[in-house]
Amino acid sequence: MNALSRLVSFFCLVSYSVFAYAVSEISISAARVEHAMGDAKDIALIVRLNQPKPTVKLHAAFKPAKANVQIKPEDWMQFDLACDLPKSLNPQSLNAVEARCINGRLKGTRVDLPFNLEINRLFNRNQLDLNAVLHLKGASFSDEAGLHAAEKLNGTLTVALKQEAQGWQWQTSLDWQTGEVFWQPFYIESGGHTVAASGTLKDDMLHVNHAHLKINRVGELDLDGVIRLSDAKLLDLNATLPKLNLSAAYPLLFKPLLGNTAFNNATIEGDAALALKMKNAELQSFALKLNHVDIVDINNKFAFYQLNANIPWSYEASNPVQLSYDHGSLLNLPLGKTQINAEVNRFSLTAPNIRLPLLDGALSLSNVSAARIRDEWYWHLSAKLEPISMSDFTTQLKLPRMLGKASAEIPLVTYSGGILTTDGSMVLHVFNGTATVTQLTMQTPLGIAPKLNAEIALRNLDLGELTRTFSFGAIEGKLDGDIKALELQNWKPVTFDAIVQSSPGKYPKKISQRAVENISALGGGGAAAAVQRSFLRFFKQFNYGKMGLSCRLRNDICEMGGVESTAQGYIIVKGSGIPAITVMGYNQTVGWSELLARVKRVTGGNSKAVIE
Amino acid sequence: MKRMLFSLLLIGAMFASQMVVAAADLEVNTPAISAIKGSMQSRHTQLAPHYASGAVGLTKDGMVAVRDANAVPLKDRASLNGVVTAENADRAKLYKEIATANGHPEWQAEIQSTFASRWIDKAQGGWWVQGAGGWTQK
Repeated sequence: MNALSRLVSFFCLVSYSVFAYAVSEISISAARVEHAMGDAKDIALIVRLNQPKPTVKLHAAFKPAKANVQIKPEDWMQFDLACDLPKSLNPQSLNAVEARCINGRLKGTRVDLPFNLEINRLFNRNQLDLNAVLHLKGASFSDEAGLHAAEKLNGTLTVALKQEAQGWQWQTSLDWQTGEVFWQPFYIESGGHTVAASGTLKDDMLHVNHAHLKINRVGELDLDGVIRLSDAKLLDLNATLPKLNLSAAYPLLFKPLLGNTAFNNATIEGDAALALKMKNAELQSFALKLNHVDIVDINNKFAFYQLNANIPWSYEASNPVQLSYDHGSLLNLPLGKTQINAEVNRFSLTAPNIRLPLLDGALSLSNVSAARIRDEWYWHLSAKLEPISMSDFTTQLKLPRMLGKASAEIPLVTYSGGILTTDGSMVLHVFNGTATVTQLTMQTPLGIAPKLNAEIALRNLDLGELTRTFSFGAIEGKLDGDIKALELQNWKPVTFDAIVQSSPGKYPKKISQRAVENISALGGGGAAAAVQRSFLRFFKQFNYGKMGLSCRLRNDICEMGGVESTAQGYIIVKGSGIPAITVMGYNQTVGWSELLARVKRVTGGNSKAVIE
Repeated sequence: MKRMLFSLLLIGAMFASQMVVAAADLEVNTPAISAIKGSMQSRHTQLAPHYASGAVGLTKDGMVAVRDANAVPLKDRASLNGVVTAENADRAKLYKEIATANGHPEWQAEIQSTFASRWIDKAQGGWWVQGAGGWTQK
């Protein structure tokens, strides 16, 4: 038995009516043919020769072979073809067949390909020398999962193929006129695209000597290369794309590839040029240029305007790369005109200095080194934040407007495994004191649930300025604080051990009646009512010895404390001198959201204390 | 005697694994969890018609999957993939965050399988869900 093909039942009927010693009709039919490639049944081939125009008609049902799958009736595809043949079918005229087949059709459950076929040439000197044109007329197909599919496809495919000493010579052109195609993950909504290509085929190596692709609105691509057909591997490639229209290419080509990254939801304008070279299935070099590109995230997470880039890359040599933008923004912070120069060496990038103007200052990065290892980025650098005005910073982030300047010096910032870690400290000069942020780490800052961990130390904050900023009620004095084990998720605190208290040392310590009311409102009331009821309401201002409040936040519950504990609660403000006042807190635990609501009420200008 | 001891151990182990889930607070809330839930909620309007048409089904491991893209017009298939990928990224993050918020990151797998049966129980009639034997329509 032939290993490749098995003939189950095959009967051939050649009926010919002898008329003037000529064959007038040949009819071949087969009930069933089985082959490793697929099965066919109900085959009927009729050649009529005694008509003014000889015709050939073929009908067959066939199905591609599928291992271990039961044959369902709907798996069979029907194939029909009817062709007019040239008048005389002698061997010489076979060189130019000029067969025209109209209303050909391949139809199955997921395939419907109506087509016309013109065969202009079939043989030349007893060698196959095909020249054919296939017109698709509203074709549709889909694979079982629906991930590769087309609908209402109209187009023309020409194929020329002939055997020569060095292998098969082929030439093809495709004119995709109308119709939509989804080829996971790409969707092309309409036609207007053309391909013209030629090359040779020998063994399983397909050489493309030259191909020209024109994708409507997107750009034109010239390429040559070699594909190994047995595993569909691209071995060599030279491609040039002199002008790519990014606004058309982004939704068509890039967005589907960017998947779930931070860059998949942007609008982009401008154009790009790309040239690339592959050898032995390895990328050898590419050169990417971006010209006057504006890229804006739809959710306003980032924006870069007038982005220009010149990025040459080669596997063999290191190359200088340049990138610049006129202005932009990142997480609502405005970025100024920036020019970046770096050196790219295979999969790593280094830059001695990158200065990113930010608000009225700048973020200056030095000793930048980045590497892409196993599809993940790793980088480290030193960062210096040149003083930026807190007033601008807080306004941009829609925070209560603060005065002062923020500056920072971080000797080492590393990014590894999606986590940004800092070594060193950021010092913010705010409220005439300092806020020092240390051990800052961030996870997926541009993702859906960004996470931030840090420790913050506050020293000598001017309470006068602080209380004015947050319209809290005037307090005179200085404040120290320590926020340890701080964790923010989605920029909201979930964990911290915080304590704020008056700074050590001698300085005027005064607290207004309104501040007393507000503080007691935070602590859960008590003293405010006492103030209102007692003679103390005649005083607008009191002296205090020390004040402080602590909150240990866990599971949305804040465990509260003050400067001292008492049997009933804790002391928030301890009075001293005349007139003196002591504010007590009684609630040991407060829901975090409730506490935030209280803060909002008191800073929102509502001086009415909440008495519980 | 040995056999009895083994049975006791087995029962103990079964209870222990039950207790893990029983002890996990699946309704725990943190800003990260509410951000993820918010993102999933706003995506649900996009996914609901796909559940109904059978294009997308609920998998037995607490994720969603494209079951039959043929139910969706060609022009919407790329976004179908996108929405499924984004939903699965959120779901994976949700299970991780719930386990972390419970103080037991190692519970993630069990929390995920508890959610898997919850999603399937809550699925509306006509939706496709994945069981041990493959896809079935509720």
